[in-house]
Amino acid sequence: MRSQSGEEPAGFLQPSDSEVQGWMDRAFHMAKDALENGEVPVGCLMVFKAEIVGKGRNEVNETKNATRHAEMVALDQVLEWCHLRERDVKEVFKHTVLYVTVEPCIMCAAALRLLNIPLVVYGCKNDRFGGCGSVLDISSDDLPHTGTYFKCISGHRAEEAVEMLKMFYKQENPNAPKPKVRKDSISPAGGSIVPMIQAASDDKDGAKTALSD
Amino acid sequence: MEPDPKRRKGMEYDSWDVVPVLSDEQSQDLKLLDAYAAPIMEKRETSRLVKELATSFPLPDLQHIKRVRACKDKNTSHPLEVIVCLASDVPDQECKGRTGPTLSDLLCSQTFDPRGLGEPFLVQIPASAPLTRPQFERASKHWPTSFHEDKQITSALKGQLFSSSEKAKMQEHMMEAIEAARSGHTLGMDAVGAVVVDPQTGQRLAVAHDCRRGTHPLHHAVMVCVDLVAASQGGGAYQYEKYPACRYYVPDPQVTTSHMDVSALESHSTSDKAKENGQSYICTGYDLYVTREPCVMCAMALVHSRINRVFYGAATADGALGSRYKIHCQKDLNHHFEVYKGVMPQACEELLDSK
Repeated sequence: MRSQSGEEPAGFLQPSDSEVQGWMDRAFHMAKDALENGEVPVGCLMVFKAEIVGKGRNEVNETKNATRHAEMVALDQVLEWCHLRERDVKEVFKHTVLYVTVEPCIMCAAALRLLNIPLVVYGCKNDRFGGCGSVLDISSDDLPHTGTYFKCISGHRAEEAVEMLKMFYKQENPNAPKPKVRKDSISPAGGSIVPMIQAASDDKDGAKTALSD
Repeated sequence: MEPDPKRRKGMEYDSWDVVPVLSDEQSQDLKLLDAYAAPIMEKRETSRLVKELATSFPLPDLQHIKRVRACKDKNTSHPLEVIVCLASDVPDQECKGRTGPTLSDLLCSQTFDPRGLGEPFLVQIPASAPLTRPQFERASKHWPTSFHEDKQITSALKGQLFSSSEKAKMQEHMMEAIEAARSGHTLGMDAVGAVVVDPQTGQRLAVAHDCRRGTHPLHHAVMVCVDLVAASQGGGAYQYEKYPACRYYVPDPQVTTSHMDVSALESHSTSDKAKENGQSYICTGYDLYVTREPCVMCAMALVHSRINRVFYGAATADGALGSRYKIHCQKDLNHHFEVYKGVMPQACEELLDSK
């Protein structure tokens, strides 16, 4: 097995269509579980050599920690998997593919870089927070002190992923503070992901130093 | 015993300046556009000329530009000058073989009475409205513009936003972060520390050091802090018993807002909504002190957590609050916050070098 990172061709990782279908199906189940538990419906899977080594769904409301996105939860499980089997964490991450229903946000994209994940397969774009090209391109920007870049394959069951997010945002987030009377903005659940269809709402105030929604 | 931190050379709070980290739009030089201006030879024609020019050559994207300016030189034959049109409004062939277009070149396609207008000359005018006083002052050297001053930014740029007692408080909080960084370092961790403070009460809510070399490669000081705040609110995802310097405090409801911390009055009222209702909501309304500029992951974690303000000591190469990105004022994101750097920079930079 080659061990150099960076220029590593993703060829050996390039999943077949049926692999993508199979793994993404499981990721969608995770997202559904999030939805049923009042969390933003994003689900993911971490796959190392055809084995699931981590899975996660959004746990922001449950933990009152806005960083508990599906990817972060799954990364913890990979660490645990490595720990239990005394496997080298770096070596495992370097050959692990992330399957996730929504484009990872800027934070998660940076986390994936820091752990040298080489490939991410995702469903729909994330125009509000996306870190793989939608808002910033953390996945491929030149960041010499932030791990290695990763490749993305996008679009699998994208409409369905968006539909689930829409469904979530139709419900109210009981944990959020009562929003000001404004119809054009929807208060996201603890800094989570908002579907792309709502992204057009507002950024007229973008130039101000600070604003809250 | 450590010497009293305030007595240590170069560490008195008047030895450093809190520097606001502004957006690129606020900090860059304004772009300039070429335009033709002409002297108004007869003052009483001014309002007619301005009206007709506004019809013939409207400047819809340049609302900030004042069409007429007073002549700086009091000895000239004309008191006023007016923008006729942008250089880009003039077809190229008009100027060929000459030093510049004449008034009739500029007005040839217009039904326009040039009475009172002198021959045009080239000027440069600011392409966008100035956002800060330094931009306004630079813009004004070229052509007068309107300026809606944000007094807080002006004051921050002059280093006058925070009083010395506020800076003393900042120093206390940053000292706590530095202490945490040192504690972590003795355990083999990277020397980075962070503290979350409620500026309304002055209470510290969480203190953490970097743990990435310990149990979890993503446990940067900021990530630990965010999780500790969650723990203080009855949530949280991790235990940090191996690292006693990483700790949280449950806010004391007895401490009222009468005990104000660093310019609490100026912090943004919307972010305090949750606490008015007696509930805490992630990091809404809170300030973070961190010894070095957060990375992309940590900066975005602070967006998700709705932090109020961030103060840091030393910049970092891939830093996401000023150096490589400015995530706190990134367009398209749903939460923005103020960032200040240069808080105890010397002590914080020393931490960067600790091996």
